[in-house]
Amino acid sequence: MLVRIIVGGVIVLAGLGLAGTRLAWLARLVRSGQPAPGRLADAPARVTAELAEVLGQRKLFKRWRSGLPHALVFWGFLILLFTIIEALGDTFLSKDFAIPLIGHSGELGFVEDLFTVIVLAGLAVFTVTRLVESPRRRGKSSRFYGSHTTAAWITLSMIALVMITLLGYRAAQVNTGHFPYGNAAFASHWLAGVLKPLGTSANSGLETGLLLANIAVIMGFGVFVTYSKHLHIVMAPLNVAFSRRPRALGALGELPAEAPAATPQLELLTWKQRLDALTCTECGRCQSACPAWNSGQPLSPKLLIMNLRDGLMSSGTGSASDTVHDGDSNGTDGAAETAVISPDVLWSCTTCGACVEQCPVDIEHVDTIVHLRRQLVDAGQIEPAVRQVLQADAQQGNSFGKSSRMRARWTRELGFGVKDARKEPVRYLWFVGDFASFDERLQVLSRSLARILRDAGVDFGMLFDGERDDGNDVRRIGEEGLFQMLAEQNMEAFRSATFEEIFTTDPHSFNTLRNEYPAFGLDKPVMHYSQLLQRLLGDGAIGVEPLGMRVTYHDPCYLARHNRLTDPPRQVLAALGCDLVEMPRNGLNTFCCGAGGGRIWMTGPEQAERPSESRIREAVAVGVDHFVVACPKDFVMYTDAVKTTGNDDRITVIDLIQLVDRARRPAPTLETV
Amino acid sequence: MGGNVLVLAEHDGKQISDATYELLGAARDLAAALGGQAEVALFGPRDLASQLGGADVVVSVDHPALAEYLPEAYEQALTAVLAERSPRLVLMSTATAGLDLGAAAAVRWQAPLAAAVTKLEAAAGEIVATAQILGGKVLAELELPGERAIAAVVGGTYPAAAGQGAGTPEVVEVAPPAGLDRLRMSLVQVTEPPGGDVDITTADLLVSVGRGIESQDNVELVQELGDALGVPLSASRPVVDAGWLPKTRQVGKSGLKVKPKAYLAFGISGAPEHLEGMRDADLIIACNTDPGAPIFDVAHYGTTVDLFDLVPALTEKLGR
Amino acid sequence: MRIVVLMKAVPDLVEEIELTADETGIDREFLKFVVSEWDAQALEEALLIKDAAGADVVAVGLASDPDIDQALYTALAKGADSAVKVTGGEETMLTGDRAALLAGYLAAEPADLVMTGVQAADDIDGQLPPMLAAHLGQPHVSVVVAVEAANGGVTVRQEFAGGLVHELAVQLPAVIGVQAARQAPRYAPITRIRQAMQAGGLREVTAAAATAAPAPTVRRMFRPEQASHAQMLTGSADDVATAIADLLRDRGLVKG
Repeated sequence: MLVRIIVGGVIVLAGLGLAGTRLAWLARLVRSGQPAPGRLADAPARVTAELAEVLGQRKLFKRWRSGLPHALVFWGFLILLFTIIEALGDTFLSKDFAIPLIGHSGELGFVEDLFTVIVLAGLAVFTVTRLVESPRRRGKSSRFYGSHTTAAWITLSMIALVMITLLGYRAAQVNTGHFPYGNAAFASHWLAGVLKPLGTSANSGLETGLLLANIAVIMGFGVFVTYSKHLHIVMAPLNVAFSRRPRALGALGELPAEAPAATPQLELLTWKQRLDALTCTECGRCQSACPAWNSGQPLSPKLLIMNLRDGLMSSGTGSASDTVHDGDSNGTDGAAETAVISPDVLWSCTTCGACVEQCPVDIEHVDTIVHLRRQLVDAGQIEPAVRQVLQADAQQGNSFGKSSRMRARWTRELGFGVKDARKEPVRYLWFVGDFASFDERLQVLSRSLARILRDAGVDFGMLFDGERDDGNDVRRIGEEGLFQMLAEQNMEAFRSATFEEIFTTDPHSFNTLRNEYPAFGLDKPVMHYSQLLQRLLGDGAIGVEPLGMRVTYHDPCYLARHNRLTDPPRQVLAALGCDLVEMPRNGLNTFCCGAGGGRIWMTGPEQAERPSESRIREAVAVGVDHFVVACPKDFVMYTDAVKTTGNDDRITVIDLIQLVDRARRPAPTLETV
Repeated sequence: MGGNVLVLAEHDGKQISDATYELLGAARDLAAALGGQAEVALFGPRDLASQLGGADVVVSVDHPALAEYLPEAYEQALTAVLAERSPRLVLMSTATAGLDLGAAAAVRWQAPLAAAVTKLEAAAGEIVATAQILGGKVLAELELPGERAIAAVVGGTYPAAAGQGAGTPEVVEVAPPAGLDRLRMSLVQVTEPPGGDVDITTADLLVSVGRGIESQDNVELVQELGDALGVPLSASRPVVDAGWLPKTRQVGKSGLKVKPKAYLAFGISGAPEHLEGMRDADLIIACNTDPGAPIFDVAHYGTTVDLFDLVPALTEKLGR
Repeated sequence: MRIVVLMKAVPDLVEEIELTADETGIDREFLKFVVSEWDAQALEEALLIKDAAGADVVAVGLASDPDIDQALYTALAKGADSAVKVTGGEETMLTGDRAALLAGYLAAEPADLVMTGVQAADDIDGQLPPMLAAHLGQPHVSVVVAVEAANGGVTVRQEFAGGLVHELAVQLPAVIGVQAARQAPRYAPITRIRQAMQAGGLREVTAAAATAAPAPTVRRMFRPEQASHAQMLTGSADDVATAIADLLRDRGLVKG
């Protein structure tokens, strides 16, 4: 016993001391971040999230092949906390230690053994996963590309060692008569059978040796965790608790306090963004889903967060960066010396939110990227094409740099007048948006929608030259001041008009009007035109005959992921008698066209394959000849992508509006796009 | 003297510029209407007077400081000539020298100036100039009353041929003003435009891009058409300023003047400065999504089809 | 070095231009005004000098120009050290009157270097830099594409047709007409412009105008006739491409 107490005591004290010091240092690192207000509001939602995402491992099941074993290992860790109590008791109190009350129940012994075996099986699956998806084999298409793979192997080995020493000392206990459980602990008893021939004294030695080894590995692992990406077992529950609820999508997150120009990126980060960085498990789910990474651009959401973490670690102490490095974890080629993240990485983001949707530990990548972009904008580091757009928005109020008076010019060819909601009351106010107003191809769609609404007897109007760019993309470029100016100008126009509800053509307008304009005083319901069409088809206000077309539907990021609206467009397709064939990436897992977040105006950085081109190939592969969109930017992006991929004769991009036009009876005269 | 019209000569030390002949042609007609002579102010090498056979009088100021164009030196010489000759009207171009000297002379010589003139009429001692403003969107008819006036004429307004006479003008020497010996500026060096690139001024067919092209990637799209046709790309100023094409490809006032058999303009709105450099092309075909773009006023054929659709279609049809 | 950058508000050419009822001027009442693009280039070049060699950059506008406050606050947001609104004159687009008033201001508050756009879109009676220099008796250079401080003066690059460039050494004080800055004008974030507005700081200075050059009399203004308008090709991109290909083939400019 004395040997156990002395050796065990040294191991436990050393382990707790090292891990505790490191954790205290990490806590200081997080707490020195900028304020992030509102992170405790709505406690019930946070508790629910904790239950679902941590205990329930909800988001891990988006990839069930690795998610299920992860969940089992995680639950195994919870159960095996009992064995740690037992091991400490066996070390410091008595060789016959048992947890009071339940310590001798066969059920506990069985469950402990069961999860020991399950965890070992889980480790086997992880091993296979890591071998199959190894970045050495699969390069940049591996989700582990740039992750600390050596640290991952150490982690797997240590967990395996914990399980093996645990089973070993339990088996020895069976042979020495110190085991508190009966035959239900099947694995321990099986191994005991193997060890029994060695004799009692050997088993007694094994018992103490393996027990101390078990304590040592657990403590060693505890220390290793605080120095590696496996820190997530400590940080994830905290990060989930403090993340934006219901999710870090839709509206952008809080605006951190204004920092003076040229503040280093790391000092700009809020404490929550610092917590994000420490929480990342490097699983690469975000990287696999990211349209920028998949088109060969320098942004990987995972590497971005990892680089921020590396920067924080080395800035926090000057020397204590002991994270294990191997392979290429550098996603910031050519970064400016002072910046941890290079502008090219930040400008690659489409703000589509795929990373946020995927992240099992609720890291808020998009907010962080926009936050860092704001600083680039503040320093004037914007590519000329984007500068022109911002200038046009500031001067003319639209991204096209056209006169405001030209905004409603597309209505001239309608043959009937659209009401000016500023002059007469209307039920619906149509927020047309820049693209549907100024782009000639899209003007045809706008006219179609106007005719559909008129024929359906809908009472609608517009703001004409009073409408401004909605500012959704301007805000995501990082030009916060311009966004606020545009929002205020639009609010002024809204206040001068009389209406009950707003509908938008553009999902991007929809997103900001619905989620961000309330902060400017907008108190009217906002919907997307797909919702209005759904309503009108449901009411029978639009008469249609079934089209019988086989189509696929592309969910716009700002409708599906950011606003959870996947159903209305599908209802419209059903009402039109279309046979919908889903692409592999659909609904909340939709794949961005590449235009969001201001990307539609940007030229760099270089892309290997545009996201829109990859998407068209995906659609062609499911074997349909019509690609249905519900977003003006999608219409532009995919019409181009069909041409550049040479699929003109295989697939046609068609807007929901055009489908309604084809189906409706009596048949209207159609303009060609 | 009464109704004399004085032209400011521009030259590179060896050759009188085309713009000077354009102005001289106009000066002859105006002088006839005003009952005076056509005079040319020639600063620098006096032997260039032999190239000014279209003038009645060449007023020459020669001084080492005038060997190369230097704004301050030219201004002093011009001030001296104006005091000596008192013309009714002074003509200069809207190129660099005109922009330097015209407005300064208006103050020093106290004469009204008409800028960016595209038409000049003189009758009964009265001179009326038509000038472009606001990027050519508006024209202004300006009266230049009194005894003296200045007009800065847009290049290409008049044909050069009318100014290229074979006469022998009287050469009047004006003494160099003393100020030429204590100038406050000096020429450090002259940089010729970067050579080695294709010469767009000799091409029969030019494919040209403007601001509407939006990005460098799209320049490459049009380059494919150029390659298919085996012709060089040219551009308007914004494209060159953005660094998407070299300066040697710039068409317009501050670039090169071209006169190809056909000029295809993609995404060029047609600012006066650009039109000045290409309006003499035999055939101009313009593609711009804005139906109100001024380029359509000089183009023979136009279309508002999106260039991103049109260019690939053309490349396909004309590829060889 | 004190650099004064002169800013002019000109009609936004994006907007439809309306003439006054008597057709002798531009109807300015409902017109939107923006900073002259050449003046924006001049400001950028001045800020580049400041970045490289240090300078006190003062943005100066005429108080009578529409929306000039916005232009001056934008200049402050971009990095100008101070801004001045010159009063004492009537609203005018005539360069002669503007030069005379600004000459009065610069006599009272002299600059080492005056930089402004080589021209403005609504110049009728000539360009500001040479007129101003003539009033001040200072050397001037127009169509400049780079200005750098050197040897107590400045070195400027003056551009000629065809891309020929003269590099000139100019003593100060001097007036420079800028065609283009060495880099595209920087972007002023709206937040910074608003901060500049909140901080105020536009100084008003009343100036006594010098004697202006006589101006031409505007007899009338009108829109250019569209008589020679292009023949428009319509239809799909493919139709138009076919038509253009035929035009080129007819002239023997392409084979096939």
